[in-house]
Amino acid sequence: MLIHARSFALVAILILPALGRAEEPLRVRIDKHITNGASDYKKRAAPLSNDEEFLRRVTLDLAGTTPTVAELNDFLADSAKDKRAKLIDKLLAGAGYARRMAWHFDVMLMERRPDAKVPRAEWELYLRTVFSANKPYDAFVRELLSTDGGDAKTRAAAKFVLDRDLEPHLVTKDIGRVFLGRNMQCAQCHDHPTVDDYHQADYYGIQAFLNRSFLFPNAQAPTAVIAERAEGDVNFMSVFDKAKKQHTTVPKMPGGKAVEEPKTEKGKEYRVAPAPNVKPVPTYSRRELLAAAITSADNSSFARNIVNRMWAMMMGRGIVHPVDWDHSKNPPSHPELLDELTREFVAHKYDLKWLVREIALTDAYQRSSEIPAGLDDAPADRYLVAVLKPLSPEQFGYALMQATGYADAERDALKKLGPKATEEMLDGKLAPRLGPFRSILGGKAGDAGENFSATLDQTLFLKYGGAVRGLLPPRAGNLADRLSKITNPDAVADELFAAVLSRRPTADEMRDVGDVLRSTKDRQATINELVWALVASAEFRFNH
Amino acid sequence: MLPCNYACRSTGHTVSRRGFLGSALGATAALGLGGFANPVSAAELNKSQKRVLVIFLAGGVSQLETWDPKPNTDTGGPFKAIQTSVTGTRISELLPHTAKHAHRLALVRSLNSVSDDHGIGESIMLTGRKPEAGINYPHIGAVSAKLLASRESALPGHIQILPKGGSGFNGGDATFLGPKFASVSLGDGKPPADLFRPANLASSADEEREAFRRKLNDRFAKSRKSAATEAYTESYTQAERVVKQAEVFDVEKENPKLADRYGRHDFGRHLLLARRLLEAGVTYVKVSHSNYDTHHENFDFHIEQLGEFDRPFAALLEDLADRGMLESTLVVVMSEMGRTPRINAQYGRDHWSKAWSVAMAGAGIKGGVVVGKTNANGTAVADREVYSGHLFHTYLRAVGLDSTKNFYPNERPVPVADPKAAAIEEALA
Repeated sequence: MLIHARSFALVAILILPALGRAEEPLRVRIDKHITNGASDYKKRAAPLSNDEEFLRRVTLDLAGTTPTVAELNDFLADSAKDKRAKLIDKLLAGAGYARRMAWHFDVMLMERRPDAKVPRAEWELYLRTVFSANKPYDAFVRELLSTDGGDAKTRAAAKFVLDRDLEPHLVTKDIGRVFLGRNMQCAQCHDHPTVDDYHQADYYGIQAFLNRSFLFPNAQAPTAVIAERAEGDVNFMSVFDKAKKQHTTVPKMPGGKAVEEPKTEKGKEYRVAPAPNVKPVPTYSRRELLAAAITSADNSSFARNIVNRMWAMMMGRGIVHPVDWDHSKNPPSHPELLDELTREFVAHKYDLKWLVREIALTDAYQRSSEIPAGLDDAPADRYLVAVLKPLSPEQFGYALMQATGYADAERDALKKLGPKATEEMLDGKLAPRLGPFRSILGGKAGDAGENFSATLDQTLFLKYGGAVRGLLPPRAGNLADRLSKITNPDAVADELFAAVLSRRPTADEMRDVGDVLRSTKDRQATINELVWALVASAEFRFNH
Repeated sequence: MLPCNYACRSTGHTVSRRGFLGSALGATAALGLGGFANPVSAAELNKSQKRVLVIFLAGGVSQLETWDPKPNTDTGGPFKAIQTSVTGTRISELLPHTAKHAHRLALVRSLNSVSDDHGIGESIMLTGRKPEAGINYPHIGAVSAKLLASRESALPGHIQILPKGGSGFNGGDATFLGPKFASVSLGDGKPPADLFRPANLASSADEEREAFRRKLNDRFAKSRKSAATEAYTESYTQAERVVKQAEVFDVEKENPKLADRYGRHDFGRHLLLARRLLEAGVTYVKVSHSNYDTHHENFDFHIEQLGEFDRPFAALLEDLADRGMLESTLVVVMSEMGRTPRINAQYGRDHWSKAWSVAMAGAGIKGGVVVGKTNANGTAVADREVYSGHLFHTYLRAVGLDSTKNFYPNERPVPVADPKAAAIEEALA
């Protein structure tokens, strides 16, 4: 057992939001909701994580990788009371934040679809720019949903729609799921049989924003842009309706007001009339209303969904869980908390970085993942113990490069460039190596990675695959190289565990490393495989 | 496909893989539990495990040149019908070796599979369902792997051997049953990637590092555990057992005399590989044989393709019978559709789903029967029309399963087989 060094983060003094009785910082209020969410919470909950556990967790969550040995040593040596808050701020200000968020939002928005119209490199660059600038989330989504792809400068933002080929049902379903937290797939054909809040009219209300849009010149062209006609209505009938009654709807957000559509004069329907090889431009555009309608303050699902998704990213599960299943029969685990977070997020102008920071500062986030002795029943949705989160393929690949010292070696090589060397440049060098991790650990198109799997192909890839094995042997400045130069087995164990698992080894582990090293005929080979054993451990595979 | 999910199972939150595995710790990662490190003898497997082999004649084999010949009619083409080991049952002369095994076969000659499209037809034949908006049904391979999986086998339960392409995992063919039951593809019979220990890793070093990894995991699991961490650690145990049996994937290990009976061509090799896999405890294997889409020169192509199919198919039935595996292994020969009775101007036959044939043998099948018939020149079903749904029920019943049961993805019942159809009782033993 490790000894828990309880640390006390200083209460950060915040600029109080205009809304609510914000006499206490939000992170304190979050913890109150969590404490009130389980009987005897304080008695039963795990203590706060120790410094090693916290450093690894927050670095993975906010920078997408594991800490370097130097970062670990610095953090452990720091005796400042507010060192956790300082670390959080440092990570949020660093280049790793945009990298991590770009990965996360790529998967959330594109769900591992193969590239269709917008090349991955442009898309990733766009996402990085969004998160480097901490663009407000509502503005970001407006870009995603209003860009028609015609301007090279903003084309990347159209990927959400373009790469779904503007397929009406797919785009409608995914707008509902990804931006509103409502999986209305069933509502395509009928009101949901068991969920009272998902109506067919809601589904087609969303679709009506896009039903006149099409890909110009055609859906196959890799350079296609989004164009729109001036006419066309959505019609639907329920498959359960024996009378086969046809319904129609104008554009409308679920639970929102119907758009009032202007009467267009005959002959004035188009600003640019349809003609062969001409992109038509209607006088009145339904599609242009979508971005505003979805991000409108009246549409409370919008902020609620992203708050819930960010909570899930940080805490390992949504307050509404699964995150796209928000309806009255699947209530949030902490309804008041979700409401409060949603309100505050809107009051803070959809500031994602602020939201992430508030969550990271809470005791709930900083709790240990070790189940306390005597706590037999710890439902994940009560947050008595921190939830174990599998590393995303990107986190895993990147952390692996960090752990094995591949990233260190590349960083050293870059230093020759002097002050020109940036973390972004390093990312550029490392990024291509993420490919195999994405394809093997990342699931199929349409998989947002919300569920963990450990299939045979993944395990064989980790056991024997070149993408992992190639990182093990010594190379100037990498981990196996550093370890081979250390003679004392205890010191080898120290460096090994710090580099891969971001912690000190236990006495048992030191002894095990020593035994293996003393009995080997091929010290270097053994060192390489020790690195592998740590990398392949459950402790490395999960953010704990 | 319109994704309208009647029972509300979007891939997203249906089979939350974790939910699917149940909240029980010790969720399995890849395939069954328990442990045999060595290939189990066929006799031992027979007692416990039923298996399924589908031979898929891709492109659409002609029923008139195989199971339902119509010689001397306007549609019959140039080939004769020959006697078989079953008095009164005749099949095409292109299948002389298969004819000797007719007493093992149940021929269904009255299949109407509804779609003349390659992709849709394949899906109809493998899922036993017509396409439905909003739900994708799992293939028979995934269903077999899920319902028949042996606790003894470490190998994947659902394997397909394809004529070409790479080898890989996680086909989309398990749908709501989850990736655990999705197919492992072996392109040209090649083993999965990274199955064999790299040359620069000695087996002793591999064992040593595994032991170290296990110690770390045990220590981690003392205080931290979830279904996911359990699945992860378990997956290594599974992988290790598969690696130990890696040579099952290598047909070169087969006795050359035996191997020669399958022919020295791709399909022969693939069928032999299928037999090895079934013998090693794999639940379901599908082997595809291609080039049956004979819009031109139907007859030449069928001479060639069936010439490749006939001898190894007969050898396979013999081998299964000799090893005592035939009574526990269901064998099905199918396509995505049949071919038109009408012969076109290029001496070809076109797509045709209205009246064609499928052959079955082995587990639970009554040998020597013929189910249904077509009219004199094969242009329509004359008696006992069945759909792919009937076949699907029949396969399940043949391997001892109740085909009227449900799956419960997301706690909603989904019938395992189309409730509008039923098993073909006269083909069942």
